Amino acid sequence: MKKILIPLAMVAALALVAYVGVEYLKLQFIFGVVIPYAAAVLFVAGFLYRIADWLIRPVPFRIPTTAGQEKSLDWIRRNPVESPHRAWEAAARVLSEVLLFRSLFRNTRAELRKDASLAYASNKWLWLGGLAFHWSLLVIVLRHARFFFAMVPGFADFLDHADSFFDVTLPAFYISDAIALGAITFLVARRFFDAKVRMISLPTDYFPLFLIGGIVLIGVLMRYVVRLNVMPVKDLMLQLMNFGFDPPGEIGTLFYIHLFLISVLLAYFPLSKLMHMGGIFLSPTRNLCNNSREKRHVNPWNPDIKFRTYSEYEDDFREKMKKAGLPVEKQ
Amino acid sequence: MRINKTILTIGLPALLMFALLAFFRQSGNAVESPKAPPAPVTVDSTRCIAQTEYMRANHMKVLHEWRNSSVREGNRVYTSPNGSRFQKSLNTCLGCHSTNRLFCFNCHMYANVRPKCWNCHLSPMETP
Repeated sequence: MKKILIPLAMVAALALVAYVGVEYLKLQFIFGVVIPYAAAVLFVAGFLYRIADWLIRPVPFRIPTTAGQEKSLDWIRRNPVESPHRAWEAAARVLSEVLLFRSLFRNTRAELRKDASLAYASNKWLWLGGLAFHWSLLVIVLRHARFFFAMVPGFADFLDHADSFFDVTLPAFYISDAIALGAITFLVARRFFDAKVRMISLPTDYFPLFLIGGIVLIGVLMRYVVRLNVMPVKDLMLQLMNFGFDPPGEIGTLFYIHLFLISVLLAYFPLSKLMHMGGIFLSPTRNLCNNSREKRHVNPWNPDIKFRTYSEYEDDFREKMKKAGLPVEKQ
Repeated sequence: MRINKTILTIGLPALLMFALLAFFRQSGNAVESPKAPPAPVTVDSTRCIAQTEYMRANHMKVLHEWRNSSVREGNRVYTSPNGSRFQKSLNTCLGCHSTNRLFCFNCHMYANVRPKCWNCHLSPMETP
């Protein structure tokens, strides 16, 4: 229980910090300009550091995890995606993992039935929940381009239209908001109610979920309930994009809480499991092609060992060996 | 604790539907017996209903409130805090403000906020 309540309390405390800082201490400049810049610097630098760190680690051998027949004799049918043989096949496998979560789709679950029999069944809930969570968050982030650019890029316009397709409520209700909130609820509930998953869940699993949930919730509140004035928000965002340092205009406190939680998320990103965003592309068990039997992969940092063959040895000691009566290969 | 499958497959979607319904119904649904409507007022565009600063930040709330109360409850009269009475109509605002054809669009284009007002109403761009 503690490992759920502590991250929840941390997110609440962070929100409170922003609330008190803006509402009572009037630190609009700190929370609106300084902290977002600092968080962006930490995010970019930390992300690049982690990626560079992983990139320079040598991967001398082919260690892909495979679930299909690798390329062999011509008459044996191979599985190009499950056991990639060429680089583009491996790329397709990584992309299908990134975009469609294939490995989660294969998730099977063992369950002890009431009559004490063990049953294995395909379990797609995590796949569906994860997919809904990640895709809706991506749509939400891309939609926010309307705050960051004076000329809103076409894809953001398109997403905006598609996302508010139902055209109910004022301002128009976004489908992705509901999907994101539902998916976060499911992902938290899954960790909470499934005893096996609860056992292996850590505070660092709950914290990002609560943090993102808080960010989405405050965004929803700002849009549908409070109906925040977006003009000064757009002013501030355009200014941040142009590296300006003017104090922000008159914006509601909810916005600063939203912005502060996002800043925390950005700063926390490189230190946490959220780095799977970059790491999934660099995972050697996924991005290598399975061609060890076709091509010899020599460890590039093997020391250059001077070998001494038997014939060299015999050349050196032939006379002595003969005197001692030992057999020699060459007379 | 094992999640009961029935609860998951029926309960969760039902809960979600319920939450969505509650969300969409909002507050305007409670049907009250109609009271005697206040005396109608004609469109008066000679004065503003509130301070410019207030309207800049809150016009969407005012218009949203006006839409709900006038269309759903039939109450078409707005009484401002200082006692003046206005008709709850876009024409009250646009009767004067539409002299600037870009009155709405300047900011709304900038912030990229596009409510569907002009699906039905005539925008200042379209009025002669």
